[in-house]
Amino acid sequence: MENARHILTNFEDALDNLRKNVLMMSSLSSRSLENARKGLFERDEDWCNTVIADDEEIDALEIQVDGEGMEIMLRFHPFASDLRNVIAAMKTSVNLERASDQSVGIARRARKLIALPLMPVASRIEPIFNLASSVYDDSIKSYADNDIELARTIKVRDKDLDELNREFADSITEMMPQNPEHIRGFLELIFIARCLERIGDQAKTIAEDVIYAVAVKDIRHSHAAR
Amino acid sequence: MQTSKEAPVKMPLDDKNPLGRPDFISVKDFNFFYGKKQALYDINMDIPERQVTAFIGPSGCGKSTLLRNFNRMNELIDGVHNSGDIRILGKSIYDKEIEVISLRRSIGMVFQKSNPFPKSIYENVVFALRISGTSKKSELDECVERSLRGAALWNEVKDRLHESALGLSGGQMQRLCIARAIANRPKVLLMDEPCSALDPIATVKVEELIRELKQQFTIVIVTHNMQQATRCSDNTAFFYLGKLVEYADTQKIFSNPSEKQTEDYITGRFG
Repeated sequence: MENARHILTNFEDALDNLRKNVLMMSSLSSRSLENARKGLFERDEDWCNTVIADDEEIDALEIQVDGEGMEIMLRFHPFASDLRNVIAAMKTSVNLERASDQSVGIARRARKLIALPLMPVASRIEPIFNLASSVYDDSIKSYADNDIELARTIKVRDKDLDELNREFADSITEMMPQNPEHIRGFLELIFIARCLERIGDQAKTIAEDVIYAVAVKDIRHSHAAR
Repeated sequence: MQTSKEAPVKMPLDDKNPLGRPDFISVKDFNFFYGKKQALYDINMDIPERQVTAFIGPSGCGKSTLLRNFNRMNELIDGVHNSGDIRILGKSIYDKEIEVISLRRSIGMVFQKSNPFPKSIYENVVFALRISGTSKKSELDECVERSLRGAALWNEVKDRLHESALGLSGGQMQRLCIARAIANRPKVLLMDEPCSALDPIATVKVEELIRELKQQFTIVIVTHNMQQATRCSDNTAFFYLGKLVEYADTQKIFSNPSEKQTEDYITGRFG
């Protein structure tokens, strides 16, 4: 049920603006992850450089969202859902910025891989990338739509991502003794998988904050139901 | 949570108030009329002992009307009548045995505009005692010091007790009124927007005083200032158009109210 508008129009405008900036951040962050994917799988250094360059804008937005959130709390003393939404916006922006940092990490490592001969085993990371992208995009969607049902799915899927990452790291590690000439490449792949696993963690945190903001349920540190 | 149509919910004994009665003041099926105009509809609520309960709501919602019923002050207005009951410590305030004047003596009241008598500070505090026949100086002196200390005013006025109360600042006058209200050792303190005419520093001092006083008194405060309600009160009741819409722990009311009307009011979507 949509809420009526606030009597104080500049309060309403400030809340709208805060939300828009978080959604802008989420869009840029999601795009960074997608560009990192292109850089990695298309072996295109330009995409990698784009990810690294775009991170500055995301960092600036995080600072802006923090400042706007603080100002809303200072000026308007929000209560109830307004307070929860402001806090969720500020926390989400932190998680989006951290996820973007992971995309930058992927891009940097992808650049190093591009400098090495093509490794067919690199394609094994694609399912992890797909799952991480899907989990991340859905966490952003759950925030945008206040969709707690979607948010609830994120925790379980993040566990799947953690499992995939573990399996991948184990399989790559097993290959190292037989392929010492590829160790540098293997290590880059393990780090990239680790970055994707951390993106899943950020997505989980975003989803937890959505559930708190909408349903006032704190599901942090509780075991995910399968 | 309580609404006008539900039976009263006993506030649980908890860490805030391990020994206090949860139904120190009990309002049951209470309706109030100014002549033909109904001002309160089916109010049911229990106010716990030695906690601060805040009444909030837009102007005209009935919160001050209910407050003034606790000491039957409304009966000073012609044409009022009510149904239902209000009990303090299990005894109906409308019981035939109850003498209204005694009831009002046992319930202290502080108003929005401080109203010290045009007398000395000392005489303001002991006024009620003198009327009840107390004249022994030692008793009066003890009362003055106890009450002024209780109102966090003693150190500021101890050297000028016999000067006019009208020479005090606004904040000091209000604290003097609080001292006067607690002089008779009431069971309950009613406060009707006690800080609305005070500057921010005086307001903070009165709020700090309320926090200390609740260790001894059951306090009910009407306030338009929702930040004050969150700072000062343990429980909050939201009224609208004479009805009790929601009544719960203050943190719940202001972080996650159950009723949309409450949420809309406290977030500034109406009022």
